[in-house]
Amino acid sequence: MSGRTLTVAHLFPELLNLYGDGGNVLVLRKRLEWRHDACEVVECHVGDRPSFSGIDIAFIGGGSDREQRIVCERLLDERDELTAFVEDGGVLLAVCGGYQLLGHSYLMGDEEVTGLGLVDLYTDRGAPRLIGNVAVESRISPQPIVGYENHGGRTHLGEGVEPMGRVLFGHGNDGVTGEEGCLYKNVVGTYVHGPLLPKNPGVADHLLSCALERRYGDGTLEPLDDEAELAANKVMVDRLMAGEEAE
Amino acid sequence: MGLRSSLACGLGGLTRWGLRNVLHRSASQMPGRIAMAVDPDVISDLASRLGGDSVVVCGTNGKTTTNNVLAAAVEASGATVACNHAGANMAAGVAAALLEDVGADHAVMEADELSTIHILPALKPRYLILLNLFRDQLDRAGEIDHVADVIVSALAASPDTTLVTCGDDPLCMGVAWRAREAGTRVLTFGVAEDLRLPADRVPEARFCQRCGAELSYEYRTYAQLGAFSCPKCDFARPELDWRATSVSVGREGVSFDVSGAGFDSPVRVSASFGGVYMVYNLMAAFVGASLLGVDAPTFQRSLDSYHPENGRLQHFRVGGRDVVLNLAKNPTGFNQNISLMQADDRPKAAFFVINDDYNDGRDISWIWDVDFERLADEEGLVVLAGGHRANDVQVRMRYAGIPAEIAGSVSAALEACSTIPVDHPLYVLTNYSALWPAKAELERIGEGSES
Ligand SMILES: [Zn+2]
Repeated sequence: MSGRTLTVAHLFPELLNLYGDGGNVLVLRKRLEWRHDACEVVECHVGDRPSFSGIDIAFIGGGSDREQRIVCERLLDERDELTAFVEDGGVLLAVCGGYQLLGHSYLMGDEEVTGLGLVDLYTDRGAPRLIGNVAVESRISPQPIVGYENHGGRTHLGEGVEPMGRVLFGHGNDGVTGEEGCLYKNVVGTYVHGPLLPKNPGVADHLLSCALERRYGDGTLEPLDDEAELAANKVMVDRLMAGEEAE
Repeated sequence: MGLRSSLACGLGGLTRWGLRNVLHRSASQMPGRIAMAVDPDVISDLASRLGGDSVVVCGTNGKTTTNNVLAAAVEASGATVACNHAGANMAAGVAAALLEDVGADHAVMEADELSTIHILPALKPRYLILLNLFRDQLDRAGEIDHVADVIVSALAASPDTTLVTCGDDPLCMGVAWRAREAGTRVLTFGVAEDLRLPADRVPEARFCQRCGAELSYEYRTYAQLGAFSCPKCDFARPELDWRATSVSVGREGVSFDVSGAGFDSPVRVSASFGGVYMVYNLMAAFVGASLLGVDAPTFQRSLDSYHPENGRLQHFRVGGRDVVLNLAKNPTGFNQNISLMQADDRPKAAFFVINDDYNDGRDISWIWDVDFERLADEEGLVVLAGGHRANDVQVRMRYAGIPAEIAGSVSAALEACSTIPVDHPLYVLTNYSALWPAKAELERIGEGSES
């Protein structure tokens, strides 16, 4: 099946672009185009009134504390629409700082900041920062999800909220439970920051499939030649499983 | 100089001798570490023995080149200079360089941004040159706001240091604005005309450092640098103390006029290497040199004979092919290198080498912020991926629409280029820890390094 179109909203790219976050949007677009489907990318900037009615996938990245604060305040005005989008099965990928925004609250310094409350979780802080390569086993990816995490926050999932997966290497949500990220309806939240999707094509296709299912009632995807992506994934998995020194 | 610092200097000197003569190792840091362990105040003790002023150069990109050009010019004027040429830019490297030339006329030191907090209060330089601030090695340096905070604190701890900075960079001017509020004297340089270059991507946030509004630009030179102003408050590119005009940037090099404080008429500066970022580096070096009393003809003469052999824009010839080696360790640096490649109108090959050693930053997410897409339409371009993260580079290229094979070394990359005409140059762009092996390999296989 081809000739379908998805609309991807990149939320506040000029503020939340700390670690190559834009790579995720590029990957979603390319993987649709390679299948002869189309992708329209809508950038939502500060001062815009984001509307989620025509959106299939929303992406929110990470930023510095200051930038994350600006975004959170901005998005709180749209909380009702965002909640409706998520409850309706809209696909939302939130990484790093964006992941923290999904919850009821997070800490900025010692101050508790109200989050979007889209998923039953909250974030407090701990020392030290949890930094380094990470590998996560998850039902949304045939390969372990690999990437990099760098966060002072410790995220605690509410009762019954499914983690994105189990940490094989690295720290994850809080460095204690062995859980990483969250899955809720079609929301994926994770501390695997920046370019999550390039080396994890399974996650990219999971998001695309969910969005196509919601819009067209058929989420089947033609397979792609992912030799380069899978090789890059495997190199890191092998390296981490061989016991790379954790930071 | 007290007994303890004499002992520190003595031990440092002995270590240097031992490293060089017994172990045949470079002595850029270890003697400094040992001296500092014996006497934590060794930098300030040694600084007090300098004959004249010192200058510290920092900034995300270009500090090694700027510092070395500046030091060479000061030496060309006949003065003696203590300088951390090799780029050992933390406190121990500065201490080691001071030990090397105890009692020199001047110290000209490159400093890692986060090390300014240790170096400035001890060295108390007359000038701190801050070139630019970009995202770099985030997992180690922390967020850019933190880097700015550290530099502001370092200046506060060295109140007689004048900040000489790039007026075109809103992030530098954010530092300058806060430092000035705290009493630091600030001087600025910048490009005072629209260069009309093709716009590159702006990886940094272009927001007002005072009120957070999005800045507007009369023109941009590269990245977030340009004639900026805030539409909501009075944060803007300042009245520049030194201005570059009649700027020419091309494959053959850069040239520009400098006018401003200390010059009755504009002075032409030219170099046979560079890109637009080099205009800023050379201007900073020129300004720094003139503040240390170097006259313009001496600066130009010194620049004419400056042949970088530190892997920064170094040219080699291998099997008749022109090979250009350069450091590219963050998005802005890489984007500037892509501009340099595009200024070269020959069809070409490129070898992008990315490592993730500690000194590189373990996190290489930033390769997704580089505008590789600009290369996708280059006719005849051949790209190879290398380094510990060659696979990541290959994936990045795939999504930029550029097929790239993996090559394990510069020789392998050259071998892969053997089917393309020998007059197509190979650009080898590497991040930090990949630079020295590539340079060593090119020195081994090249037909003599040239400049
Ligand atoms: Zn403002």
